[in-house]
Amino acid sequence: MKYDHPELLDRLAAEYVLGTMSGRVRRRFQAIQRASPAAQRAVQDWERRLSPLAQSVPPQTPPPAAWEAIERRTGGGAAEKSASGWLMWLKPALGVAFGVVATLGLVRLYPDAMVPVDEIVQARSKLPESYVGLLTDASNNPVVLASSTRHGKTMSVKILRKVEVPAGKVLQLWALPKAGAAFPLGVVPGEGKGSFEMADTSEKLLSAVPRLALSVEDAPARAGAVPAPFVLTGNCVKLW
Amino acid sequence: MAERAGGAELQQLLSRVALGDRAAFRRLYDVTAPSLFGVALRIVRQRERAEEVLQDAFVNAWHRASGYQAALSQPMTWLTAIVRNRALDELRSGARHSADSLEDETSGTTVDIEETKPGPLGLLEQAADTLAIRDCLDAIDGPQRQCLALAYYQGYSHSEVAGHIGSPIGSVKVWLRRGLDKLKRCLDRLA
Repeated sequence: MKYDHPELLDRLAAEYVLGTMSGRVRRRFQAIQRASPAAQRAVQDWERRLSPLAQSVPPQTPPPAAWEAIERRTGGGAAEKSASGWLMWLKPALGVAFGVVATLGLVRLYPDAMVPVDEIVQARSKLPESYVGLLTDASNNPVVLASSTRHGKTMSVKILRKVEVPAGKVLQLWALPKAGAAFPLGVVPGEGKGSFEMADTSEKLLSAVPRLALSVEDAPARAGAVPAPFVLTGNCVKLW
Repeated sequence: MAERAGGAELQQLLSRVALGDRAAFRRLYDVTAPSLFGVALRIVRQRERAEEVLQDAFVNAWHRASGYQAALSQPMTWLTAIVRNRALDELRSGARHSADSLEDETSGTTVDIEETKPGPLGLLEQAADTLAIRDCLDAIDGPQRQCLALAYYQGYSHSEVAGHIGSPIGSVKVWLRRGLDKLKRCLDRLA
């Protein structure tokens, strides 16, 4: 069957969203969606049409245990989760930014005394619009920090904890888009800092990418390659 | 419902959730969970299973919030889709209870028979009135409308719809397709 036929996709998407597909057919169509942006769009169109119909269903109060379980499963409460964990990391950075802004105020008050640093402060008074990813290990320790300015093509990486790279292998950074297959971004070092040029700007590549991941590969991955098992994963967020 | 009460607020909450803001996540839950739990309960027909669906959906939303795109869907559309998909997957995976168990009060399980009022057709008509799409619904023939309502609100498969209304599965498929076609044309014209 040719799944790239728009009318067929539309019909399947309608049945999928309406909910009449059997389990087997549902799973098959979910696999098609993962591989086909056209199928994803068709499904989104039907969700837009049909979801409002759900509003007539009388609300039911969920038991308190439901929220407690959700909080536990997302790492809330006592345990920090990676998303909030990286925010903790970000706080000092924002603190620096605010400090710079405060310094800028001083510069305005005492221009003569501080003229030499004025330009530097001006330039740094705001964190640039960037995509930032923080990859953590299984114990939620931050390991790789990746960042790239919104319209730039250079991805800078800082290795926060040394990653062992077997001889002859490389550490491959992947983007895990909201929908569709993982695609390779570039190769990162096992320690220290590094950078690489991406195939396009961050905005083009990462605007629909909520997660990044790292795998150990025999060679730098090409577009369309299937990743080896991920050794690190983490959130990728917009910093603006 | 939540979307009409504050779609803008939900959008803002989702963008904060994307940054790992737990207070925003809690607020999002408080505002939307009752509606979403109602939707899940209709489909999976058991409180325990509906609770699992709700949990999975919110855990999913927490992780996927950074991928939410306001330009592509309303927050409540996005959340409803996550819940319905999870509920339908759950319903199709185990099939621990057949659709008939809705009417089976002696089965001794936690079937929530009282949750089925108003019936699916009533819900569809109510939604059409609220959304001001009554004309779209009126253009759809009775049997088509009933099939759509059973499928959408109860999560009935083709064969379950056929069994419920006592018509051949072939007719049900045709009715559903025609009903969906009409609905699509009408809704897209209004949009």
